[in-house]
Amino acid sequence: MSAAAMSGRGAFVLLRVGDSRFALPSENVVELAPPVRLHEFPHESKFVAGVIVRRGRIVPVYDVAPLLTGRSSTVHRFYLVAWLALATGPEASAIPVTGECELASGEVLPRHADDPNYFAGKLLLEDGPVDIVNFESLVAAGSAKAFAQEVRP
Amino acid sequence: MKIASQDKAKARRGRHSEQVILFSAGARTFAIAADAVQEIRSTDSLADAAVEMAQADVPKVRHLVERRGRTYFVVNAGAHFGLRVTRPTLVLILRQIRVAVLVDNIERMVEIGAVHSLPKAFEGAEKSWYRGLAYLDDCVIPVIHPAGFLTAEEFARLDVAARSAEAEQPLEGAVER
Repeated sequence: MSAAAMSGRGAFVLLRVGDSRFALPSENVVELAPPVRLHEFPHESKFVAGVIVRRGRIVPVYDVAPLLTGRSSTVHRFYLVAWLALATGPEASAIPVTGECELASGEVLPRHADDPNYFAGKLLLEDGPVDIVNFESLVAAGSAKAFAQEVRP
Repeated sequence: MKIASQDKAKARRGRHSEQVILFSAGARTFAIAADAVQEIRSTDSLADAAVEMAQADVPKVRHLVERRGRTYFVVNAGAHFGLRVTRPTLVLILRQIRVAVLVDNIERMVEIGAVHSLPKAFEGAEKSWYRGLAYLDDCVIPVIHPAGFLTAEEFARLDVAARSAEAEQPLEGAVER
Protein backbone atom coordinates (compact mmCIF):
# COMPACT_ATOMS: atom_id res chain seq x y z
CA MET A 1 0.00 0.00 0.00
CA SER A 2 1.18 3.51 -0.68
CA ALA A 3 2.12 6.00 1.99
CA ALA A 4 -1.06 7.92 1.20
CA ALA A 5 -3.23 4.89 1.70
CA MET A 6 -1.45 3.87 4.90
CA SER A 7 -1.72 7.35 6.31
CA GLY A 8 -5.48 7.29 6.35
CA ARG A 9 -6.86 8.03 2.87
CA GLY A 10 -6.18 6.69 -0.56
CA ALA A 11 -7.69 5.70 -3.89
CA PHE A 12 -8.91 2.14 -4.21
CA VAL A 13 -10.55 -0.06 -6.79
CA LEU A 14 -13.61 -1.83 -5.41
CA LEU A 15 -14.00 -5.34 -6.73
CA ARG A 16 -16.62 -7.98 -6.20
CA VAL A 17 -15.72 -11.62 -5.61
CA GLY A 18 -18.78 -13.81 -5.15
CA ASP A 19 -21.19 -11.74 -3.09
CA SER A 20 -18.50 -9.82 -1.24
CA ARG A 21 -16.75 -6.53 -1.94
CA PHE A 22 -13.08 -5.89 -1.44
CA ALA A 23 -10.74 -2.98 -2.12
CA LEU A 24 -7.35 -2.96 -3.79
CA PRO A 25 -5.05 0.09 -3.89
CA SER A 26 -5.66 1.69 -7.28
CA GLU A 27 -1.97 2.33 -7.87
CA ASN A 28 -1.47 -1.44 -8.24
CA VAL A 29 -4.28 -1.94 -10.75
CA VAL A 30 -3.40 -2.33 -14.42
CA GLU A 31 -6.83 -2.82 -15.99
CA LEU A 32 -10.20 -4.47 -15.80
CA ALA A 33 -10.11 -7.10 -18.53
CA PRO A 34 -13.17 -8.55 -20.28
CA PRO A 35 -14.08 -12.22 -19.77
CA VAL A 36 -11.41 -13.55 -22.10
CA ARG A 37 -10.61 -17.22 -22.33
CA LEU A 38 -8.88 -18.83 -19.35
CA HIS A 39 -6.15 -21.13 -20.63
CA GLU A 40 -5.38 -24.13 -18.47
CA PHE A 41 -2.51 -26.59 -18.63
CA PRO A 42 -1.02 -29.09 -16.18
CA HIS A 43 0.86 -27.56 -13.27
CA GLU A 44 1.30 -27.98 -9.53
CA SER A 45 0.71 -24.40 -8.37
CA LYS A 46 -2.79 -25.05 -7.06
CA PHE A 47 -3.64 -21.43 -6.28
CA VAL A 48 -3.16 -20.54 -9.95
CA ALA A 49 -6.27 -21.23 -12.04
CA GLY A 50 -4.57 -20.72 -15.41
CA VAL A 51 -3.50 -17.84 -17.59
CA ILE A 52 -5.16 -15.23 -19.77
CA VAL A 53 -3.62 -13.33 -22.66
CA ARG A 54 -3.77 -9.53 -22.46
CA ARG A 55 -2.07 -7.24 -24.97
CA GLY A 56 0.33 -9.96 -26.05
CA ARG A 57 1.30 -10.75 -22.49
CA ILE A 58 0.55 -13.97 -20.63
CA VAL A 59 -1.01 -13.16 -17.27
CA PRO A 60 -1.47 -15.72 -14.48
CA VAL A 61 -4.91 -15.89 -12.86
CA TYR A 62 -5.20 -16.57 -9.14
CA ASP A 63 -8.24 -18.45 -7.84
CA VAL A 64 -8.86 -16.16 -4.86
CA ALA A 65 -12.58 -16.80 -4.29
CA PRO A 66 -12.24 -19.82 -1.94
CA LEU A 67 -9.85 -17.89 0.29
CA LEU A 68 -11.73 -14.57 0.25
CA THR A 69 -15.29 -15.86 0.39
CA GLY A 70 -14.95 -19.43 1.61
CA ARG A 71 -16.32 -20.95 -1.57
CA SER A 72 -15.50 -21.31 -5.23
CA SER A 73 -17.02 -18.79 -7.55
CA THR A 74 -18.00 -20.30 -10.87
CA VAL A 75 -19.46 -17.03 -12.13
CA HIS A 76 -16.98 -14.35 -13.00
CA ARG A 77 -17.46 -11.70 -15.58
CA PHE A 78 -14.15 -9.89 -15.66
CA TYR A 79 -10.53 -10.15 -14.66
CA LEU A 80 -8.93 -7.45 -12.57
CA VAL A 81 -5.26 -7.25 -13.56
CA ALA A 82 -2.92 -5.79 -10.95
CA TRP A 83 0.79 -5.68 -10.25
CA LEU A 84 1.95 -8.28 -7.79
CA ALA A 85 5.33 -7.79 -6.10
CA LEU A 86 6.92 -11.23 -5.92
CA ALA A 87 10.33 -12.03 -4.45
CA THR A 88 11.56 -12.53 -8.01
CA GLY A 89 10.13 -9.22 -9.25
CA PRO A 90 6.78 -7.65 -10.14
CA GLU A 91 4.30 -9.54 -12.29
CA ALA A 92 0.97 -8.47 -13.75
CA SER A 93 -1.51 -10.94 -12.29
CA ALA A 94 -5.27 -11.37 -12.54
CA ILE A 95 -8.14 -12.03 -10.16
CA PRO A 96 -11.53 -13.22 -11.49
CA VAL A 97 -14.21 -10.77 -10.36
CA THR A 98 -17.97 -11.15 -10.53
CA GLY A 99 -18.91 -7.63 -11.48
CA GLU A 100 -17.61 -4.34 -12.69
CA CYS A 101 -15.14 -2.47 -10.55
CA GLU A 102 -15.31 1.12 -9.39
CA LEU A 103 -12.93 3.68 -7.97
CA ALA A 104 -13.47 4.76 -4.39
CA SER A 105 -11.70 6.66 -1.69
CA GLY A 106 -12.36 7.05 1.96
CA GLU A 107 -10.92 6.78 5.40
CA VAL A 108 -8.70 3.76 6.01
CA LEU A 109 -8.75 1.99 9.36
CA PRO A 110 -6.04 -0.43 10.43
CA ARG A 111 -6.92 -4.09 10.30
CA HIS A 112 -8.27 -5.90 13.35
CA ALA A 113 -5.94 -8.31 15.09
CA ASP A 114 -8.39 -11.13 14.25
CA ASP A 115 -8.47 -10.37 10.53
CA PRO A 116 -6.46 -12.57 8.17
CA ASN A 117 -3.10 -11.01 7.40
CA TYR A 118 -4.04 -10.64 3.73
CA PHE A 119 -6.32 -7.79 4.74
CA ALA A 120 -4.38 -4.55 5.13
CA GLY A 121 -7.21 -2.64 6.78
CA LYS A 122 -10.74 -1.42 6.21
CA LEU A 123 -11.91 1.22 3.80
CA LEU A 124 -14.79 3.18 5.27
CA LEU A 125 -17.46 3.93 2.69
CA GLU A 126 -20.95 5.39 3.06
CA ASP A 127 -22.55 1.97 2.71
CA GLY A 128 -20.18 0.23 5.12
CA PRO A 129 -16.60 -0.90 5.57
CA VAL A 130 -14.78 -2.91 2.91
CA ASP A 131 -11.73 -5.09 3.53
CA ILE A 132 -8.60 -3.84 1.79
CA VAL A 133 -6.72 -6.69 0.18
CA ASN A 134 -2.95 -6.95 0.35
CA PHE A 135 -2.44 -8.81 -2.93
CA GLU A 136 1.01 -10.15 -2.03
CA SER A 137 -0.15 -11.54 1.33
CA LEU A 138 -3.29 -12.96 -0.28
CA VAL A 139 -1.25 -14.90 -2.85
CA ALA A 140 1.18 -16.08 -0.20
CA ALA A 141 -1.70 -17.27 2.00
CA GLY A 142 -3.50 -18.93 -0.93
CA SER A 143 -0.38 -20.73 -2.08
CA ALA A 144 0.39 -21.92 1.45
CA LYS A 145 -3.18 -23.13 1.94
CA ALA A 146 -3.20 -24.95 -1.41
CA PHE A 147 0.11 -26.59 -0.53
CA ALA A 148 -1.16 -27.64 2.91
CA GLN A 149 -4.27 -29.20 1.37
CA GLU A 150 -2.12 -31.02 -1.16
CA VAL A 151 0.20 -32.61 1.40
CA ARG A 152 -2.57 -33.41 3.88
CA PRO A 153 -2.82 -37.23 4.15
CA MET B 1 17.72 -5.32 -53.42
CA LYS B 2 14.62 -7.41 -53.54
CA ILE B 3 16.58 -10.55 -52.78
CA ALA B 4 18.39 -8.89 -49.90
CA SER B 5 15.16 -7.78 -48.27
CA GLN B 6 13.75 -11.28 -48.64
CA ASP B 7 16.87 -12.66 -46.99
CA LYS B 8 16.49 -10.18 -44.17
CA ALA B 9 12.90 -11.23 -43.67
CA LYS B 10 13.92 -14.87 -43.62
CA ALA B 11 16.68 -14.17 -41.11
CA ARG B 12 14.25 -12.27 -38.92
CA ARG B 13 11.79 -15.12 -39.08
CA GLY B 14 14.57 -17.63 -38.43
CA ARG B 15 15.86 -15.77 -35.40
CA HIS B 16 12.54 -15.76 -33.57
CA SER B 17 10.62 -18.72 -34.88
CA GLU B 18 10.94 -22.35 -34.05
CA GLN B 19 9.54 -25.59 -35.42
CA VAL B 20 7.63 -27.52 -32.80
CA ILE B 21 5.68 -30.74 -32.71
CA LEU B 22 2.26 -30.47 -31.10
CA PHE B 23 1.28 -33.65 -29.30
CA SER B 24 -1.49 -34.64 -26.95
CA ALA B 25 -1.44 -36.57 -23.70
CA GLY B 26 -4.38 -37.02 -21.37
CA ALA B 27 -6.53 -34.70 -23.54
CA ARG B 28 -4.02 -31.84 -23.21
CA THR B 29 -1.86 -30.36 -25.95
CA PHE B 30 1.85 -29.74 -25.54
CA ALA B 31 4.63 -28.52 -27.83
CA ILE B 32 8.15 -29.83 -28.07
CA ALA B 33 10.95 -28.48 -30.24
CA ALA B 34 11.14 -30.57 -33.40
CA ASP B 35 14.92 -30.73 -33.17
CA ALA B 36 14.65 -32.27 -29.70
CA VAL B 37 12.93 -35.33 -31.18
CA GLN B 38 15.00 -37.99 -32.93
CA GLU B 39 12.18 -40.19 -34.14
CA ILE B 40 8.50 -40.89 -33.67
CA ARG B 41 7.40 -44.50 -33.53
CA SER B 42 4.17 -46.30 -32.87
CA THR B 43 4.01 -48.21 -29.59
CA ASP B 44 3.30 -51.38 -31.59
CA SER B 45 6.50 -51.05 -33.60
CA LEU B 46 8.58 -50.75 -30.43
CA ALA B 47 6.82 -53.49 -28.50
CA ASP B 48 9.49 -56.09 -29.32
CA ALA B 49 12.33 -53.76 -28.30
CA ALA B 50 10.77 -52.76 -25.00
CA VAL B 51 11.93 -54.30 -21.74
CA GLU B 52 9.57 -54.14 -18.79
CA MET B 53 11.06 -52.67 -15.63
CA ALA B 54 9.70 -53.91 -12.32
CA GLN B 55 10.53 -50.84 -10.26
CA ALA B 56 8.28 -48.57 -8.25
CA ASP B 57 10.69 -45.72 -7.58
CA VAL B 58 9.73 -43.83 -10.72
CA PRO B 59 6.13 -44.87 -11.46
CA LYS B 60 5.90 -42.91 -14.71
CA VAL B 61 8.55 -45.23 -16.22
CA ARG B 62 7.53 -48.82 -16.85
CA HIS B 63 9.75 -49.78 -19.78
CA LEU B 64 13.08 -49.13 -21.41
CA VAL B 65 13.94 -49.47 -25.07
CA GLU B 66 17.30 -50.04 -26.73
CA ARG B 67 17.88 -47.89 -29.79
CA ARG B 68 21.19 -47.86 -31.63
CA GLY B 69 23.11 -49.04 -28.58
CA ARG B 70 21.51 -46.53 -26.20
CA THR B 71 19.04 -47.24 -23.45
CA TYR B 72 16.01 -44.95 -23.36
CA PHE B 73 13.65 -44.80 -20.42
CA VAL B 74 10.04 -44.66 -21.55
CA VAL B 75 8.16 -41.92 -19.69
CA ASN B 76 4.37 -41.92 -19.81
CA ALA B 77 3.58 -38.26 -20.52
CA GLY B 78 0.15 -38.51 -18.90
CA ALA B 79 1.64 -39.83 -15.66
CA HIS B 80 4.45 -37.27 -15.80
CA PHE B 81 2.03 -34.36 -15.99
CA GLY B 82 -0.42 -35.87 -13.50
CA LEU B 83 -3.13 -36.34 -16.11
CA ARG B 84 -5.75 -39.01 -16.63
CA VAL B 85 -3.90 -42.08 -17.85
CA THR B 86 -4.91 -42.97 -21.37
CA ARG B 87 -3.70 -45.54 -23.87
CA PRO B 88 -0.74 -43.96 -25.65
CA THR B 89 -0.20 -44.90 -29.27
CA LEU B 90 3.06 -43.13 -30.10
CA VAL B 91 6.55 -42.81 -28.70
CA LEU B 92 8.71 -39.72 -29.13
CA ILE B 93 12.34 -40.75 -28.88
CA LEU B 94 14.31 -37.71 -27.79
CA ARG B 95 17.58 -36.68 -29.33
CA GLN B 96 19.89 -35.45 -26.55
CA ILE B 97 18.38 -37.24 -23.58
CA ARG B 98 17.90 -40.93 -22.89
CA VAL B 99 14.15 -40.51 -22.70
CA ALA B 100 11.33 -41.77 -24.90
CA VAL B 101 7.91 -40.26 -24.25
CA LEU B 102 4.63 -42.10 -24.55
CA VAL B 103 1.99 -39.76 -26.01
CA ASP B 104 -1.57 -40.19 -27.20
CA ASN B 105 -1.30 -38.48 -30.54
CA ILE B 106 0.69 -36.13 -32.73
CA GLU B 107 -1.49 -33.20 -33.77
CA ARG B 108 0.82 -31.43 -36.22
CA MET B 109 4.12 -29.72 -36.75
CA VAL B 110 4.02 -25.95 -36.66
CA GLU B 111 6.24 -22.88 -36.51
CA ILE B 112 5.85 -20.74 -33.40
CA GLY B 113 6.91 -17.13 -33.21
CA ALA B 114 8.01 -16.89 -29.62
CA VAL B 115 8.21 -18.81 -26.39
CA HIS B 116 6.96 -16.67 -23.50
CA SER B 117 8.52 -17.21 -20.09
CA LEU B 118 6.43 -19.19 -17.67
CA PRO B 119 4.88 -16.61 -15.31
CA LYS B 120 6.58 -16.39 -11.92
CA ALA B 121 3.29 -17.42 -10.33
CA PHE B 122 4.12 -20.99 -11.28
CA GLU B 123 6.35 -22.35 -8.56
CA GLY B 124 5.92 -26.12 -8.72
CA ALA B 125 7.43 -28.89 -10.79
CA GLU B 126 6.10 -27.14 -13.91
CA LYS B 127 9.16 -24.88 -13.74
CA SER B 128 11.24 -27.86 -14.83
CA TRP B 129 8.58 -29.34 -17.10
CA TYR B 130 8.22 -26.31 -19.37
CA ARG B 131 10.59 -23.99 -21.22
CA GLY B 132 7.75 -21.54 -21.46
CA LEU B 133 4.40 -20.97 -23.14
CA ALA B 134 3.49 -20.48 -26.77
CA TYR B 135 0.44 -18.60 -27.98
CA LEU B 136 -0.86 -20.32 -31.05
CA ASP B 137 -4.25 -20.13 -32.76
CA ASP B 138 -5.81 -18.47 -29.71
CA CYS B 139 -4.47 -21.20 -27.44
CA VAL B 140 -1.72 -21.10 -24.83
CA ILE B 141 0.36 -24.24 -25.16
CA PRO B 142 3.14 -25.27 -22.79
CA VAL B 143 6.46 -25.82 -24.54
CA ILE B 144 8.19 -28.85 -23.07
CA HIS B 145 11.65 -28.71 -21.57
CA PRO B 146 12.99 -32.12 -22.74
CA ALA B 147 15.40 -32.40 -19.80
CA GLY B 148 12.45 -32.02 -17.41
CA PHE B 149 11.04 -35.50 -17.96
CA LEU B 150 13.52 -37.14 -15.57
CA THR B 151 15.76 -35.67 -12.91
CA ALA B 152 19.38 -36.75 -12.48
CA GLU B 153 18.32 -38.64 -9.38
CA GLU B 154 15.58 -40.47 -11.29
CA PHE B 155 18.06 -41.37 -14.03
CA ALA B 156 20.40 -42.82 -11.41
CA ARG B 157 17.63 -44.92 -9.87
CA LEU B 158 16.43 -46.08 -13.27
CA ASP B 159 19.96 -47.01 -14.35
CA VAL B 160 20.18 -49.32 -11.35
CA ALA B 161 16.77 -50.80 -12.13
CA ALA B 162 17.70 -51.15 -15.81
CA ARG B 163 20.79 -53.17 -15.00
CA SER B 164 18.76 -55.65 -12.99
CA ALA B 165 16.02 -55.74 -15.63
CA GLU B 166 18.57 -56.49 -18.34
CA ALA B 167 20.25 -59.12 -16.15
CA GLU B 168 16.92 -60.88 -15.69
CA GLN B 169 16.16 -60.98 -19.40
CA PRO B 170 18.59 -63.76 -20.47
CA LEU B 171 17.70 -65.78 -17.37
CA GLU B 172 14.03 -65.66 -18.26
CA GLY B 173 14.88 -66.85 -21.75
CA ALA B 174 17.03 -69.68 -20.40
CA VAL B 175 14.23 -71.20 -18.34
CA GLU B 176 13.05 -74.46 -19.87
CA ARG B 177 9.37 -74.72 -20.46
